[in-house]
Amino acid sequence: MTEYEHVDEDVRAITEDSELPQRLREQVYETVDDRGGVTAEQADEIVQAVESRYLDTRVDPLDPVGTVSAQSIGEPGTQMTMNTFHYAGVAEIDVTQGLPRLIELVDARKTPDTPMMTVHLEDEYAVDRERAHEVVWSIEATKILALGDVSTNVADMLVQIDLNEGTLLERWPTIDDVEEIAARIAETIEDALGVETRRTGTVIEFGPSEPSYRELLQLVEELREVVFKGIEDISRVVIRKEQLDDGEEEFVLYTEGSAFGDVLEIEGVDASRTTCNNIHEIYRNLGVEAAREAIINETMDTLEEQGLDDVNVRHLMLVSDIMTNRGTIESIGRHGISGSKESVLARAAFEVTVNHLLDAAIHGERDRLDGVIENVIVGKPVSIGTGDVDLRMGSFSPTQPSD
Amino acid sequence: MVDVSQHKLVPEHILLDDPEEIEEVLEEYNVSKTNLPKIRTKDSALPEGAEPGDVVKIVRESRTTDRAVVYRLVIE
Repeated sequence: MTEYEHVDEDVRAITEDSELPQRLREQVYETVDDRGGVTAEQADEIVQAVESRYLDTRVDPLDPVGTVSAQSIGEPGTQMTMNTFHYAGVAEIDVTQGLPRLIELVDARKTPDTPMMTVHLEDEYAVDRERAHEVVWSIEATKILALGDVSTNVADMLVQIDLNEGTLLERWPTIDDVEEIAARIAETIEDALGVETRRTGTVIEFGPSEPSYRELLQLVEELREVVFKGIEDISRVVIRKEQLDDGEEEFVLYTEGSAFGDVLEIEGVDASRTTCNNIHEIYRNLGVEAAREAIINETMDTLEEQGLDDVNVRHLMLVSDIMTNRGTIESIGRHGISGSKESVLARAAFEVTVNHLLDAAIHGERDRLDGVIENVIVGKPVSIGTGDVDLRMGSFSPTQPSD
Repeated sequence: MVDVSQHKLVPEHILLDDPEEIEEVLEEYNVSKTNLPKIRTKDSALPEGAEPGDVVKIVRESRTTDRAVVYRLVIE
């Protein structure tokens, strides 16, 4: 508990006695402290006022929170741009934003349109540019064109690779011997393409087993796709220096493409802060609770990016809670939440009405008429708010004593 | 293997092994065990030794209060 200079025991006792949550109590202390202390009576009044405002903001019993959330996200959603494909504040990495991103999130797509990761580094990797680059090379997929020149010799039916020594030493910082690196590259080519290679220094040659012009070209095509180092799914890594809250600076990597599980295992990567924008990868590696957090973060960021940051997080928390309620990520829509509702009429009201009614009839389903839509359909009061409360009006005159 | 519980997105998961404690929770919220949100047995953040039918207590650093306590039933 933080100590405040001007908050005495009386004020503390009064505040602790209220129904306020800890965070609001702390705010009361801070404000009182800034004003240089108050008397017990004043404190009592302040706390009562804060408490009544707090109780007002709480959801009433039987309030349709889902409907309110839908409206509260839906209305600002109409102001979002349909197709923003610009480079988000971070580095030069292209990220889907706005409405398409929001739809992608609530649809729980298996892979986002533009997967990316934010990789934080630990210890000396975070402060030393050289060490940070080591991590970059073990993440970014290195293909042959980055390592040297590839030429085709049609006369001898050969593919020739002239490796660049400087690049090799830069990308394999743990090995000092160029020959050894070149030998490894040759080996990777043999494994990937199933050909025999000849190597002299940093020049690698190979060709098809039978002289064939078409096969030669095919080999070159395949060679371009071979990954020599790094993770195949990650096409680009951008390194950026960022300021931390405490004023220190550190290097942070942004990647195009994501392979969350693989990256967490790499040495130098801080596995406690690294994240990615694919909620399914988060779910697979960190579990359902982390996925819940990720959905809230991603939806909130998407809205904030569009200047719609006055949407209350509680709405997004509700959406996220529903999506992760059954232990996995479910989408909101036909294949997810709306499609697996218990009530036949509710499902029929959502999409493909006839199919649902037909299936229900074949299987002899019953509808308990608990939900909102079902009761709207049959013309009964919905069990929400005052619709769920039975009131009976009686009459008696105040002059006569009631019995 | 990476220690999942150290990640900042993962809240604290505690296995409730005392049946009485589970009873208390269910009574407080007036629900049956199956009404609780679920967590799968193959979930990476699940504490060791959790079996289907167990209840896990999760303590989140909440955005709206200081700490939010929720419960999930282990399934499958």
